[in-house]
Amino acid sequence: MRVRDLSISYGAEPVLEGVDIGVGEGQFVSLVGPSGSGKSSLLRAVIGLQKPLDGSIELDVPSTDIGILFQDDALLPWKTARENVALGLTFRGIKKDEALAQADFWLARLGLAGFENRFPRRLSGGQRKRVALAQVLALKPKLILMDEPFASLDAIVRARVIQDVVALVEREHISVLLVTHDLEEALWLSDTIYLLSQGPHAHITREYNVPIPRPRDLIRARKHPAFAPLYEKLWRDLSREVGAAPRLVASDADAA
Amino acid sequence: MNKRPYAWVRQLAAFAILLAIWEASGRAGLLNPLYAPAPSQIAAALVDLFGSGRIWTHMEATFTAALGGLALGILIGVAVAIVAAMVPLVAELVEPVMTLLNAIPRVILAPLFVIWLGIGTSSKVALAVVLVAVLMFFTVFTGIRQVDQRLVERIITLGGGRVALIRHVYLPSVAAWVMGSLKVAIGFAFTGAVVGEFVAASRGLGYLLSFAQSTYNAALMLAIVLLIMIVVLVIFALGGLLERRLLRWS
Ligand SMILES: Nc1ncnc2c1ncn2[C@@H]1O[C@H](COP(=O)(O)OP(=O)(O)OP(=O)(O)O)[C@@H](O)[C@H]1O
Ligand SMILES: [Mg+2]
Repeated sequence: MRVRDLSISYGAEPVLEGVDIGVGEGQFVSLVGPSGSGKSSLLRAVIGLQKPLDGSIELDVPSTDIGILFQDDALLPWKTARENVALGLTFRGIKKDEALAQADFWLARLGLAGFENRFPRRLSGGQRKRVALAQVLALKPKLILMDEPFASLDAIVRARVIQDVVALVEREHISVLLVTHDLEEALWLSDTIYLLSQGPHAHITREYNVPIPRPRDLIRARKHPAFAPLYEKLWRDLSREVGAAPRLVASDADAA
Repeated sequence: MNKRPYAWVRQLAAFAILLAIWEASGRAGLLNPLYAPAPSQIAAALVDLFGSGRIWTHMEATFTAALGGLALGILIGVAVAIVAAMVPLVAELVEPVMTLLNAIPRVILAPLFVIWLGIGTSSKVALAVVLVAVLMFFTVFTGIRQVDQRLVERIITLGGGRVALIRHVYLPSVAAWVMGSLKVAIGFAFTGAVVGEFVAASRGLGYLLSFAQSTYNAALMLAIVLLIMIVVLVIFALGGLLERRLLRWS
């Protein structure tokens, strides 16, 4: 997948301007940046929920092979966990029984065995997140877009889910574009990290390569000699972006 | 609300005490039986209604009008709301009419329906329909416009099309909203039927009420009021069962 010169606007001023991002086959790419810089908007543009103002989005997989996990994910409240997971499978013409069986399998993989027949209302936030993850993984996507999928999980569960995702992604050779606020998470998971500048007119200011070898293990990744310096660098650069004054005034002057 | 246990025991006891006081004051001659007949007299009127068997034709008339009006009103209200939500022109034309109908006490249309449709069942059904349909229209119309956009996007990104959207998002949402205002709708339907009969009819509980009024028969009147209350409570319970069945996810 490749995003070239992408601009997105909701009003007078573009939120994103001239963004370039690439996710190679089987690559894990993270996107970090200040809140409100347009990370979610970018993901929405990639799956076609948001029409870009300018630029191009090249997909090397059919759109049915793209899965997305939204930031504020919503399951259908009137369907049980397994029915929710099975839904996408039935859209692909898989018979209901078979779809439900696969749903149970994926729920179990994400540690939700025994919760199959719960309605979302009766699940915790973290459990709902995992159901949504199962919903996407069950479709065996080639490219997954994730918008802070692990944010509401507690530390232990989060590490477990992340480790699971890493293993799965590595084994199935899935490409991922992950949006996260968590730099440690980005380093654990990614091959490449992009830093988005403070919006409006947000663009990619830096690109980092994470030289930690795969298969990755969270504990060992943290002890890798490249981890700490990269973390520090990311932190410094991101802080600078967050601290940067919004360029509202300057760009108004530009426009005039 | 956090209910204390066995509330119904206390409520029932309080009700029984009230009845006892009422009955006792009636027998002691403290209450004018013309205005406030004792519970035993009301019970006697009720027994007489059923004993003579003449109640059934009236119940049937009211039930037919109310339930028919309820079903038809829900159908019309939901259908118009769905069409209005999909076709902007329909929304533009229908919404002001509905707003107007919503603003007036709709029972004032009763005499008009009698002129148009006669004193038979249809004028009562029409009144119940107008009462229910306007309520349902607003419930569903505002509901559809506020349907959770995240669910819509979820279905789309999972590969579902238009049919899937309607089946998995819109229909369940509509069902939930209809269920949410079902109790009010049941009340409205009976209001429509009874008021319609009250205005002009030859059968029905509303007709009986107006008969009781013209003969100053307070016992009969209270007996009918009691009967209507019981009937509506039973229907509420049935509606509650349906609601629990359909909304078991909430
Ligand atoms: N539907 C919309 N209409 C108008 N403005 C929007 C809309 N969605 C987002 N925005 C604006 O676009 C900007 C980018 O929003 P976006 O949600 O993409 O940010 P984000 O980087 O994902 O932020 P966060 O990290 O807080 O999730 C914000 O300033 C937001 O106010
Ligand atoms: Mg976001």
